[in-house]
Parts: sequence; C-alpha cells; structure tokens
Amino acid sequence: MTGSARSVLRWLIRRIALSALVLLGSATTAFLALRLTPGDPVRVILGGSSATPEVLAQVRHELGTDRPLSEQYVLFLGKLLRGDLGTSYQLRDTVSHVIGSQLRGTVELALTSFALAFVVALLLAVSTAGRWPVVRGISTQLELVLSSSPGFWVGVLLLTLFSFRWHVFPAAGGDGFSGLVLPAVTLAASMVGVFAQVMRAGVERALEEPFVLSARARGSGETAVRFRHALRHAMVPMVTLSGWVVGTLFSGAVVVETVFSRQGLGRVLATAIQGRDFPVVTGVVVVSTLVFVVVNLLVDWLYRVIDPRLREVPA
Amino acid sequence: MARRPSARIRRPAAALCGVLLAGAGLSACDSGSAGAGVAGGSGGLTFATDTEPSCIDPAVSPLDVTALIDRNIFDSLVNASPDGKIHPWLAKSWSVSKDGRTYTFKLREGVKFHDGTPLDAAAVKASLDHVVDPKTKSSYAAGLLSAYDEARAENASTLRVALKRPDATLLQSLSTAYLGIQSPKALKDTATLCRNPVGTGPFTFAGWKQKQSIQLKNNDAYRWGPPTAAHTGPAKLPGLTIRFIQENAVRVGALNSGEVDVIGGLPAPNVRTLKRSPRLQVLSSQAPGGTYSVHLNPARGPLKDKRVRTAFLRSIDLDQLVKSVSFGQYDRAWSQLGPRTLGYDKRIEGSWAYDTELAGKLLDEAGWSKRDGEGYRVKDGKRLTVHWPFVPQLLREQRDILGQGIQAQAKKAGIQVRRDAKDTGTYSKQIFAGDADLWDSSNVRADPDVLRTLYASDQTLAKGGMNVFKVSDPKIDAWLRHGAATADRTARAKDYVKVQRRLRDEALVLPVYVPTYLVGAAKDVKGLSFEAASYPLFYDVSLGDS
Repeated sequence: MTGSARSVLRWLIRRIALSALVLLGSATTAFLALRLTPGDPVRVILGGSSATPEVLAQVRHELGTDRPLSEQYVLFLGKLLRGDLGTSYQLRDTVSHVIGSQLRGTVELALTSFALAFVVALLLAVSTAGRWPVVRGISTQLELVLSSSPGFWVGVLLLTLFSFRWHVFPAAGGDGFSGLVLPAVTLAASMVGVFAQVMRAGVERALEEPFVLSARARGSGETAVRFRHALRHAMVPMVTLSGWVVGTLFSGAVVVETVFSRQGLGRVLATAIQGRDFPVVTGVVVVSTLVFVVVNLLVDWLYRVIDPRLREVPA
Repeated sequence: MARRPSARIRRPAAALCGVLLAGAGLSACDSGSAGAGVAGGSGGLTFATDTEPSCIDPAVSPLDVTALIDRNIFDSLVNASPDGKIHPWLAKSWSVSKDGRTYTFKLREGVKFHDGTPLDAAAVKASLDHVVDPKTKSSYAAGLLSAYDEARAENASTLRVALKRPDATLLQSLSTAYLGIQSPKALKDTATLCRNPVGTGPFTFAGWKQKQSIQLKNNDAYRWGPPTAAHTGPAKLPGLTIRFIQENAVRVGALNSGEVDVIGGLPAPNVRTLKRSPRLQVLSSQAPGGTYSVHLNPARGPLKDKRVRTAFLRSIDLDQLVKSVSFGQYDRAWSQLGPRTLGYDKRIEGSWAYDTELAGKLLDEAGWSKRDGEGYRVKDGKRLTVHWPFVPQLLREQRDILGQGIQAQAKKAGIQVRRDAKDTGTYSKQIFAGDADLWDSSNVRADPDVLRTLYASDQTLAKGGMNVFKVSDPKIDAWLRHGAATADRTARAKDYVKVQRRLRDEALVLPVYVPTYLVGAAKDVKGLSFEAASYPLFYDVSLGDS
C-alpha cells in the first residue's frame, strides 16, 4: 500500500467511526426528547373513545410504553442495530415501510431543487461577477429577495399563476415530472440567492489572483478564465455550505410538501410529531442523520478533489 | 373533459424535463406525463379534502374524513336519514326485547363483500367483535359500542346482540360508517387492516398513495343501497378519487381551475366568490349533535361564581361575531345541541341575549366592581382573568379569529381572557388536569346522547368521556341516563330539552356556532347529498357530462 492510499484509508475509518457516534447521539437525543415532552401517545391513539383504565393499561403494555425508560432505551437501541425501526402507532405500519414509501418523493424534490438552484446560481454568479455594475446590482437585489421570500408564499404564488391561471402544471399531488416542477422551483428559490452570493464572492476573489492574470496573458478568453480558472476556486466555500443545504432541503421540504400536497418525509415527520408517533419520529431522525452524515463524508472527499493541497496533508 | 388541464400539460413539461433533471440524474421523466388529473383518465370524480386519516379501518380512526371515505366502502346494519329516523340496510328488519337489552337483526340475503365472502350473521358478529377488541385500539367506534356485551349468530341470517345496559342510541350508532360491516376474511389480517378496507359498499378500495390520494372503484355487483338513496343498483360514478390538499388556498384553487370536481372544508370566506362563478356551486349541511361551544370550568377560579359565568355569556355579542367571522355562512348557536338534533330546544333561542348592562350588574354584585388601569375588573387586588389554552395547529373554521373576538368582547365587560398557545402534548396534559377555565369543542353526532359524553358525571376524561371540567349535577345525570335508556323519541326529546335549559341556567357553556359542512363543487356534479352526520355522500352522484 502506498503512503497516500494508507492515509486515505485511515481518514475513511476515522470518519466512519465518527459518523456512527453521530448517529447514536441523534437517535438517543430523539428518543429522550420524545419521552421528556408532555403528551401520552396512548391517550392520543385512543383519542375520544370511552377507553377504560384497563384498556389504556393493556395498550400501554402492548406498545411497551409502561416499561422503565432505561429498558425502553435498550430495546430501542437493540432493534435499531438490527435495522428494525419499529411500528408506527398511528399508521399501524412498519416505520421502514412508511419511510420507504415516502423517501422517493423527498429525494426527487431535494436533488432536483438542489441541481436547479446550483445551475441558476452558477450562471448568475459567474456571468455577473466583477462586471456590468447595473446587471450585477439587479442580480444581487433579486437574489436577496429570493432568499428572504418564505417558501409558503412563493409556492402559492407559483400555483396561482402556473396552475390556477395558466393550467401549465397540476396544482397538487401531481405525480412524476410535471408535478415536480413547481415544488422544485419553490424550494430552489430560497437557495439560489445564497448560492449565487457565495459563488460570486468566490469568483470575484479569484479574479484578483495572479494566476488569472497569467491565464489572460496566455490568451485565454473571458469565458474560459471565469469558468475554467476562477470557478474552481469559488467552489471551495460552496462545499462548506453543504451542511446548511441539507438542512434547508429537509426543513424547506415540509413547507413545500404541504403547499403542493406532495408525498415526502417532511410531512410524515410533522404529522408524527403532532400525533406523538414515537417510532416514526425517531425513524425519520435516524434516516435524516444518516443522509447528513453521508453527505458530509462526500463533501470532505470533494474538498480533496477540488483542492489538491488537501490531498497531501493527512486529514 | 375539456376543463381538465392534463392534455395541455404534457408537452411543456416533457420539454423541460431533460433540462432540469440532467443534473439530478433522475428518471422521473418517463413516469411523469400522466401527472395532471389523477382520476382524469378513468372518468371518475375527484374530491379534495383537507385532512388525511392515518388509518381507514373505520373501527380505528375517529376522524370525520374517515367516515366520509369509509361510507363509500362500507355499508351499515341500519341506515339513518338526516332527520334521525332509522331505516333498514344490511339488516332488513330488527326487534328489541322489552328490557331494551337484546336486539335481534334479520339480515338481507345475497349480499357479498368485495372479496367475494357472503354476508352472514357470523360476519357481522366478527365485525362488531373487532370494534370492541382492545387490540384494535379503537379511537371512537368502541365508544359507540360501549353498551355492547356480545353477539350471537342464531342462524346464517339472524343475529342477536346482547347489551350490558339498555342503550337507546344503539341503532343510530350502528348506522354510522364507524360501525360499517367489514369482511371477516380481511379482519384476519390485522397487520394491513388500516390500509386494506373490505366492505360491501358501492365502491371498492383500489389504492392509497399516502399523503396524496385514495382511489376507489365502482362495485358493479352492488344491489343493496339504503332506502334513503335516490337510486338503486351500483353507484353512478365509475370511480372516486379522494385527494388530500391541506392548504385551503390550494384546494379552492384546484376547484376553480377544474383540477378537482368537489372540495370539502370550503372556507367560509371563499363562499361568495365561488357562488359568483357560472360553473361552480356551493352546497352546505348543518351538522347535528354538539355545536361549537366554549365550556366554562365551574370548579375553579372566578368562574366558580355562577354570576361571573352568566356575565361572561351575556357580554359576548355572538350574532355579530359569528356573522362577520363566518361571512354569514354559519348560524350562531343558542344551545349546546344543534338545531338539527333530536330534542333541540327551539324555545332557548333568544332566551339569553347579549346584555352588557346585566353582565356589568352581575359582576358588580359578585364583588368585581373596581377596574384597573387597563380596564379589567379587580377584586382584592386580583384581576378577573380566565385561561383558555389552545393548539394553534388544530384551529380551523376561523376559530382563531372567533377566539380573539370573544376575548375583545369580554374585555369590554372587564373580563380578561388569556388565550395560551400550547403544543398538543402540553395542551392535553393541561386539559386532563382540568388546569384551564375555558375549553372549546364541537362534537358532531346525529344523536342528542352527545350531551351525556359532555356532561354526565361518569364521563370525565379519566373515564373515557369528554366531561373535561368534571361537571357533576345530579339532575343532569338523571335526565341523561333516562334519555339514553328510553326508546320513545318524544320522551327522549323531553329529557334533552331539560338538559339544555339546565346548562343555560347554570351558565356552564357558551354555545358559539352551528358547525356547517361547506362543499364547493362543479355545476356538472349532480345528486350530491349529505349523510346524517352532514358529510357528503357519493353513491347517488353523477358527473353531468360523463
């Protein structure tokens, strides 16, 4: 094994071990937080029925909520290690099935809106960085407006225009691509602004660097300088944003899924919290932490790809 | 149908597809073009509502929307018309023993469940046993059957139901969709029951895309519709799609643009615009049972004093408030019972009118004569304050604005109403502990027995009832017990009239408005009627141009 391969391996093992710790921590926090907040799930499940104290006790026993907290926690962890997320109190279905059936909607929405936001921001930033003061000014203002508009409002606005008035896209619950456009645009809108600002600053900084001057001296055209040389430098701060992006995609999805009546994890989580559906809440928390951890691993690897200097130094 | 946008959607979407998804590496495009009207292809009707049930086993879920959906899939033993009368359905006749504790049902013959199982007495017994089984974890249906002891199949078409105590509400309970008769074969598979309803109804369950829609198909073998329906034989619609669109603005927009044919939970402020549209109609039905009311806690704080309770009631100008908040769509309530309920006391109307002078006098008498800097009344240095906790997410029908209106009017009389926003957990904990002065609810049910759930002393929360403030009044108890055990409608009505007057005289409740189910529909939707509990029925519905 070469030295650099060994350093990559060591880096990877360390990162995976850390990730496992993060997962354990978030699962534990979710477990504890749910048990500490007021609200008895059995009361919520049995709602307005004339449930006698005996029936209540029987249901508590069946769900295991009558056991001591430590015992519940050990059981929960044991199941989790075996990949068993439990059964939903409200939906009477396994949590893995619930999440499985809704994951696709969230992933589609997240990836599409991320790609859309990225491409639009890139074009805005690279084309206006350090030139055309008027266009740059308008673009910056627009980005500020976009990033500060609430998703709920943007969504309803888009629906009013494109669904109710012009009938271009379905209003709610549309399947496949035509149903994905407006939700993706809504979710992307809030990210475009931030992306573009960060990228533009990066490109503008890079354009000041001596290597740009030398590239120009070698006869590179303006477009080539911007896209080939400056953009790569502007990407490093973008990668740092990834944590924020994953968070935004998840939290923004709740609003977008509600406005557009889409399938998705965000709404499942929101309903589960209200209904004190412990297994679903912990399940979604574990799955989203997993996504977060994987994205962070990828991002750290991306740093090394984008910035060759990092490959030499063991992380 | 020209108004469905589906045909027009396909092309621009497909063109954009490649551009947008190139970066994401997804293959959603190919499945995409069918997106627009979910039911568009089948020629069925699309109904959009605001809430999605978590489980559609009627024995489990307590939600109105569950009954609305399940009514299409399940038939009941008996049928109730909106006036509260009971008619035959899956049972062609029945008799009640003298002591009111044994019901014998003769079942209709030739009825088949969607899975082919024939309906017989054993099937009905299995269905009722499923409701009361603690393993079912029923939220509502088990309460309807609280008097149920056991059922016995005498022969294939005769079922005897034995009760623990006489229950005059049994037939009405059995008429609800919550006690719809389920296939014994489907009941065996308890793991999927929430997502696999099998009944004998006019529509069969065809699929559920969670968080999106439920699909129903016409049951062409259907020959046993209830006598209250306008036609016999299979339902007229080839299919029914129920879509869940939570946002009011989006649901109304989807109706306006023709993407859906009917919407439920139409917000009152939208009624006027909808009525003006040449291709839309508004239908409504007042719900029977409990009105939307604010209950007063007579066990603690200033509301212990009947004079203060009365003053609070008399200081709210409900005529004005309900009219303006509901844009004239809801009637103000005079009684805890809705006007469409058996035993409604017509003479209670106008008997406790808005009267600030009286309110002021009563408060003075009760010792709250001084006012502080903010205009609130004080006694012994303490302000006249009542606490009214609520969960913001659960507010509907402009109840937040109504609450603010009540608050503002009470302030004029010198009473401070504190509306405390809580999360569901804290709220239910507080309510369970009786740690509140005011509590609001509306309990729809096509029977005055709803009053027993709300006010009988043995119906406290701990005992599974809804008597939140543990009202314990021997007179009320006696009337409610008698009303629940008496079969004669006129005699029952008398009991409930007495209860309503007692509630007024003791100032235990501020009835606010009569819940009204508002439906917006395209004009070509014909034959839409309302069930006894006032949600829309689709069995008789047809689409004009299909």
